[in-house]
Amino acid sequence: MSVAQLVPLIILLPLIGALINGLAGKKLPKTVVGAIATGVMAVSFGLALMVFSQLHEAVEVNLFTMIDTESFSLHARLLADNLSVWMTLIVTGVGTLIHLFSMGYMKHDDGYYKFFIYLNLFIFAMLILVLGSNYFMLFFGWEGVGICSYLLIGFWYGDFKNTVAARKAFIMNRVGDLGLLIGLFLLLFNFGTLEYSELSAAIIGSKIDLSTVLCGVTLCLFIGATGKSAQIPLFTWLPDAMAGPTPVSALIHAATMVTAGIFLVVRSNYMFELAPMTQDIMLYIGLATSIVAAFIAMRQNDIKKVLAYSTVSQLGMLFVALGMGAYTAAMFHVTTHAFFKALLFLGSGSVIHAMSDEQDIRQMGGLRKKIPVTHATFLIGTLAISGFPLLSGFYSKDEIIAHAFEHGTWLYVALMASAALTAVYMFRLYFVTFHGSFRGTHEQEHHVHEGPASMTLPLIVLAVLSIFGGILNLPGIWLHNMAHWMSHHLEHNVAGLNLIKHTAPEGNMALMLMVAASVMSLVILVVCYLVYGRKNSVPVADEQLKGWEKWSAGKLYFDELYNFLFVRPTEWLSEKGSHYFESMFLHRSVVGVGQLIGKSGDLVRKWQTGRTDSYILWMVFGLIGLVVYFLIYKYY
Amino acid sequence: MELLLFILPVFFALSVLVMPQSFVRAYGLIGGLATLALTVVLMANYNPDGGMHSFVAQQWIQAYGITLHFGYDGISLMMLLLTTVLVPLILLSNFGRELSSNRLFTSMVFLMQLGLIGVFISLDGIWFYVFWEITLIPIFLIAYWFGEPERKAALMKFFMYTFFGSLFMLASLIGLKSFAASFAIEDLQAVELAPEVATWLMGGFFLAFAIKVPIFPFHTWQPSTYSKSPMAGTMLLSGIMLKMALYGMLRWMLPLFPEALDCVTYPIIILGTIGVVYGAILAIKQDDMKRLFAFASISHVGLIAAGIMTADKDTLSGSILQMINHGLVAVGLFLAADVIERRLGTRSLRELGGIAKQAPKFAFWFAALAFASVSVPFTSGFVGEFLILKGMFSFDCVIGIVAGSTLILGAVYTFRAYQLSMYGPVKTSAFADLSMSELIVFAVIIIAVVFLGVYPKAVIDFVEPSVTNLLASIKQTPLVP
Repeated sequence: MSVAQLVPLIILLPLIGALINGLAGKKLPKTVVGAIATGVMAVSFGLALMVFSQLHEAVEVNLFTMIDTESFSLHARLLADNLSVWMTLIVTGVGTLIHLFSMGYMKHDDGYYKFFIYLNLFIFAMLILVLGSNYFMLFFGWEGVGICSYLLIGFWYGDFKNTVAARKAFIMNRVGDLGLLIGLFLLLFNFGTLEYSELSAAIIGSKIDLSTVLCGVTLCLFIGATGKSAQIPLFTWLPDAMAGPTPVSALIHAATMVTAGIFLVVRSNYMFELAPMTQDIMLYIGLATSIVAAFIAMRQNDIKKVLAYSTVSQLGMLFVALGMGAYTAAMFHVTTHAFFKALLFLGSGSVIHAMSDEQDIRQMGGLRKKIPVTHATFLIGTLAISGFPLLSGFYSKDEIIAHAFEHGTWLYVALMASAALTAVYMFRLYFVTFHGSFRGTHEQEHHVHEGPASMTLPLIVLAVLSIFGGILNLPGIWLHNMAHWMSHHLEHNVAGLNLIKHTAPEGNMALMLMVAASVMSLVILVVCYLVYGRKNSVPVADEQLKGWEKWSAGKLYFDELYNFLFVRPTEWLSEKGSHYFESMFLHRSVVGVGQLIGKSGDLVRKWQTGRTDSYILWMVFGLIGLVVYFLIYKYY
Repeated sequence: MELLLFILPVFFALSVLVMPQSFVRAYGLIGGLATLALTVVLMANYNPDGGMHSFVAQQWIQAYGITLHFGYDGISLMMLLLTTVLVPLILLSNFGRELSSNRLFTSMVFLMQLGLIGVFISLDGIWFYVFWEITLIPIFLIAYWFGEPERKAALMKFFMYTFFGSLFMLASLIGLKSFAASFAIEDLQAVELAPEVATWLMGGFFLAFAIKVPIFPFHTWQPSTYSKSPMAGTMLLSGIMLKMALYGMLRWMLPLFPEALDCVTYPIIILGTIGVVYGAILAIKQDDMKRLFAFASISHVGLIAAGIMTADKDTLSGSILQMINHGLVAVGLFLAADVIERRLGTRSLRELGGIAKQAPKFAFWFAALAFASVSVPFTSGFVGEFLILKGMFSFDCVIGIVAGSTLILGAVYTFRAYQLSMYGPVKTSAFADLSMSELIVFAVIIIAVVFLGVYPKAVIDFVEPSVTNLLASIKQTPLVP
């Protein structure tokens, strides 16, 4: 089959899976439901691989036209190029593994079939997001994944806390969405189209100065990206989103959905290149997010919260890369991050599963022996994210840091600091969870067990990918002339991206930077082992913390600040507005008009007394009045 | 054929009164479906590019210049379709409710339908006014006979308020006629007015429409009327009746007074935008579900009204799509509120909770409606809002951004209502899942909303030529380039 036939199928398969389970899932046995959902994902991944191998030039697939007016038209159209197909591979590949994992993880849940419907729907929306050929389709997918994210965060809706987290995620995302929507309006207004190919042609070929327009557009797009990719100021929803089942955190809040913002910027790279101001803003916001989130992660004790802040921090680093114009490096890190962060989340899921739903690492400890597969794979994930030499995260992070070195020493230092913090909190997490002595209840200890094969297999596959993923962009392995395969792959056959050349340092300088990074991560490993691993020290309760630790454990009080600034004023307005303005003022004045008419009737009625003497009296007054009037009129 | 549009509702309104009690509901449904079928046939025979199809046009009372003039174009047909789709749905959703007299209720619904159809196809000012006022009688009676115990004050306010507004419209109409040959819409359009005169005359029309839509700050009748009316009354009011006013703005207000547009466009759009934010903010903390949806409705229709006033082609098409969407979704949401009230006897969010556990089917459809109400992609609301916001953004970017806050605030109040009632621990007694009739209503609404969300071209292409014609009659250049 040709690419044009395969691409719609890739998207449709998850939808079909969701429909089958939606119509019949309630009656089918759980294994069948899971097999259908996972099966469609696997086939979809297979087809994506076929497309990947066949793709030689960008292919547009026209599905149908949604709106067609004289001034503009919006098409349901797909675009398969190297960028979108690469994202498709990540989404379907990691997606398949996480579906498989969920079959074991969710086995005892009542909403089993519902869970798989939502997961499949999520993949459907995510594929629309990456494979659409215009910003309108992207927006469809963009909001679609937001809906699924909402449904999955609030999956256990019996606990009201979870649903509040879900709503928070949806609303904060919508703030970003409004920005994105305005960006779309600006594009439509200025260029009359939302198609990537037409836009890139119009903008790259433009003779007039577009920098003002593009500055506005890119800022709006970036606001959208801060929502979905959890950047300052819209990042506080992501840690709360951990209320959802752990496979959801792995799939949506680590590997795929949150990278949508990165994808959006890479897709629009030619605009960002022409808007240096936005690039700078992106860089600073990314850097701030990266460091703030890493700082908060230092003293979190919920295993998933640590990973969530870690995700925010890594995303921040990605935006730094984008701000520097290192698009291929960012995509490389997106890829490896998808591997090791999905691995870490699934690993944490496996830990939580083993510990009978315990998430606090202070209640764990010593799990190394009890769940060996989880331990080994979690260790690999930890090493990969900390930049341990020769693992995937090492290469991809190094590429970004190398760009930063080129960009400015201060940026290099800041990013290294963020990377160092990452290594510290990750090793802390690892040692406290897996080393030392077991601190849970007796019942939990009795119950600790490794998950079924459906859970360990994805862990192993992801671990292998986390180890070797870095080879994708290793110079000289796939291509001659020391070229980077992935950079090369993504620089071709993508709207606009081939304009941007790669300017990372090569040769000795690159090697020096690598050595520095390796030394740093090794030193941190040793120190963390001494502090947390050997001494078996357990984090203390949040109340006992002082100084910076208190701020870290309190998440820098962002939630409190936002409550004070936005939530409470709105509620106040709603309550007071309803009481004072609506009922006291508006309602009263409407009733007042009615009463005024009644009252004036009353008033006039009193003059109609029916008594001749009072009429004569009024007549006399009237006559006097007239006389006075005419006298004045005559003499002045 | 077209005259059946009048004959069918009258026939069913009268004949249902003599039907046996057990057959009334089914008979009403048949009647509703018959008018729907008629509308579909008319739509199939209508050529979208054919302009106004007027089937009656003759002199009637020459001394006063009143003509018999009826006809429809793509816009009218869409409104007819909305009316005739919603009437059977409203009748069907009433199957689960016992009323004191089903005969009278069904009869009044058909009378209502007659008035609505008349409004949408009248091309003579007097007839428009007559049908406009006719609708007030059945809705008042439905609310009066079948409403909640403490309905009287609210109904009085509603009746006086809307009637008050309509009288100004009549005065304006007569005033305008004094410059024209007759009350026929072409004659009225042909009048050239000085801008000051046009502004005053338009004011009369605007007052009538603004009260009925309702546009901030003329909305105070609405929350109390919505919450005190019976479910069917609220559905008729929010689903179709307020579309009458929006339609009036489109068909009458814009084309008759183009001279005044320069002066009034900005103020009205600003009022609409204030309504968007005001309604949304007040909805956030409401405890009564129906009141909450009433304020939400103020927010949504404020946006539509503002969109209409931009007098831009795509925005108008979007407004029409959004009118259809709002009609469908409003009926669905009020049914959801009623489903809860029927079973538990309360709509107070404080007392609800955990219904999703007890009634998963209802939870699913209500959730779908909630998403449709916040206009997520794949629902018609998204395309409608996209087109309207785009138009408003091109009109004035600050207004566009302020109006765009509906995206955020809408999610806040809708999901608050949904989560407080459906999620969390179970707080109420047993909750029976949806009955067949309720399920059908929800399913029809959601299928229609999703279809239009994925393929909005169906509506847009149908109304676009008519919108173009309508705008051509606004002689001055549109304000949006």
